[in-house]
Amino acid sequence: MLVAPHGGRLTDRQVEGEEASRLLEELRDLPRLTLNARERNDLEMIGNGAMSPLEGFLCGPDYRSVVDLMHLTSGPVWPLPVVLSAKDGDPSVPAGMRAALVDECGTIWGDIEVEDVFRADLTDEAAKTLGTTDETHPGVRYLGTLSGTYVGGRIRSIRRRELEEFPQYRLDPKETRVLFRARGWKTVVAFQTRNPIHRAHEYIQKCAMEIVDGLLLHPLVGETKEGDTPADVRMRCYEVLLDGYYPSTRVVMSVFPAAMRYAGPREAIFHALLRKNYGCSHFIVGRDHAGVGSFYGTYDAQLLFDTFDPEELGIVPLKFENSFYCTRCGGMATSKTCAHDAEHRVFLAGTKVRAMLRDGMLPPAEFTRPEIARILMDAERGEGR
Amino acid sequence: MKGLVIWVRGATGAREAVLDELGNEIMERGGRVEVFHSEAAGSLGIESDERAKAAACAMLARHGVVVLAGSDGPCAASGGELIEIRETDLTELSGDLAHGSFIRRLELAGLVPPPRHDVSPDEEKIILERLRDLGYLD
Repeated sequence: MLVAPHGGRLTDRQVEGEEASRLLEELRDLPRLTLNARERNDLEMIGNGAMSPLEGFLCGPDYRSVVDLMHLTSGPVWPLPVVLSAKDGDPSVPAGMRAALVDECGTIWGDIEVEDVFRADLTDEAAKTLGTTDETHPGVRYLGTLSGTYVGGRIRSIRRRELEEFPQYRLDPKETRVLFRARGWKTVVAFQTRNPIHRAHEYIQKCAMEIVDGLLLHPLVGETKEGDTPADVRMRCYEVLLDGYYPSTRVVMSVFPAAMRYAGPREAIFHALLRKNYGCSHFIVGRDHAGVGSFYGTYDAQLLFDTFDPEELGIVPLKFENSFYCTRCGGMATSKTCAHDAEHRVFLAGTKVRAMLRDGMLPPAEFTRPEIARILMDAERGEGR
Repeated sequence: MKGLVIWVRGATGAREAVLDELGNEIMERGGRVEVFHSEAAGSLGIESDERAKAAACAMLARHGVVVLAGSDGPCAASGGELIEIRETDLTELSGDLAHGSFIRRLELAGLVPPPRHDVSPDEEKIILERLRDLGYLD
């Protein structure tokens, strides 16, 4: 039996097919609230149950409880606010009214039954959820673009498969759950990634695979910050890697359509809970998970897991050290398993790797599989895209 | 699951049907549930004795049963420390949406089990077909 969804069951606020067509007609004449890219991602994930037990954007009491206590008022752990911000130029829609939810191009993606319109202290939100108010943090910069008024209420999300990226890899939580059961998996480890997979990531995934039935490779393809490797490039890397180096019967790759918040420790918990909804019993937490720059300590994300009762999380974090190839050991290792000095360890910083790739140099095979390096090199040099 | 008594206020006829629906839903989820019908109270000879009805319900709840019972007035009876007593109005439970959201609130509070399946058998067939089309399954 698979792990239960967060809050007990998967929510389903998604409509498609004829029901979606009818809803679209109904919504054409309603007032419209605009979604930014992150909110569009959130709408999809509330709709498909990935954010269970949420059934909509947070109302005031839940927002404050999440920011201050990392719990919803109904009890479950919830570390980050999932909110809809009121935009300049949008109509004012009071509680009790319904509104269509549209993206910045005017495409309708769903609706909301407005239950609450409330002011938020965004500086307080940044300090508590991101741990900083420094404007060089991308999450703080994002909050700086918002009005400070949030609109809460239950949503419905319209499934528009024709507009989705990576349709062949888009599986909802109920679909991954059916898939895992069909494959006979009871324990599944999820790997969250927004980067190309180098040998170090491959190593920790395979360590984790030794103790569970299957791996869900779950790359994030929602909004990321400038400078991150584009999702289409990463997806090509993952395809090549899985094809060449993983047993196909023990791995599922599917996309995770969430936006990055760069909220470090709180986002690590968030990522884990959402993967629980996809049916995963274990979650890999590496160094500085969901971090950015030097805003978070190397192990802050891992330590935050320890502050919760394991039962209220309901998913087991697998905490990994930084891994590397050791020339003396002749294999991949971490500081937990290798006694040799740094001079024997093949480790390259991301900036150095990118510089090498731009100059047409392949990083060592002990750091990155050559097939992956070539895809990244083409992308860095503007070829093959 | 811990025991619980849910008192539903409202007109007797409609109330019994709603109690049955809620009882079936909780039973399908694998919950231990007892619907305390007016008939049951009648056969015990306590149909007009609110305190006796409350005591009977509380005894069942003390053994981990979710007890659904109807009442025409406020139910002031105490069920003991371990038993959570909820009162709700029939109008709150009328209609599928309200019924679903009431069960959901109980579920989130850990008072009734979640549904046994993520998807219905029909939906599962459609999903399996899609997974085969996408190459996830042979």
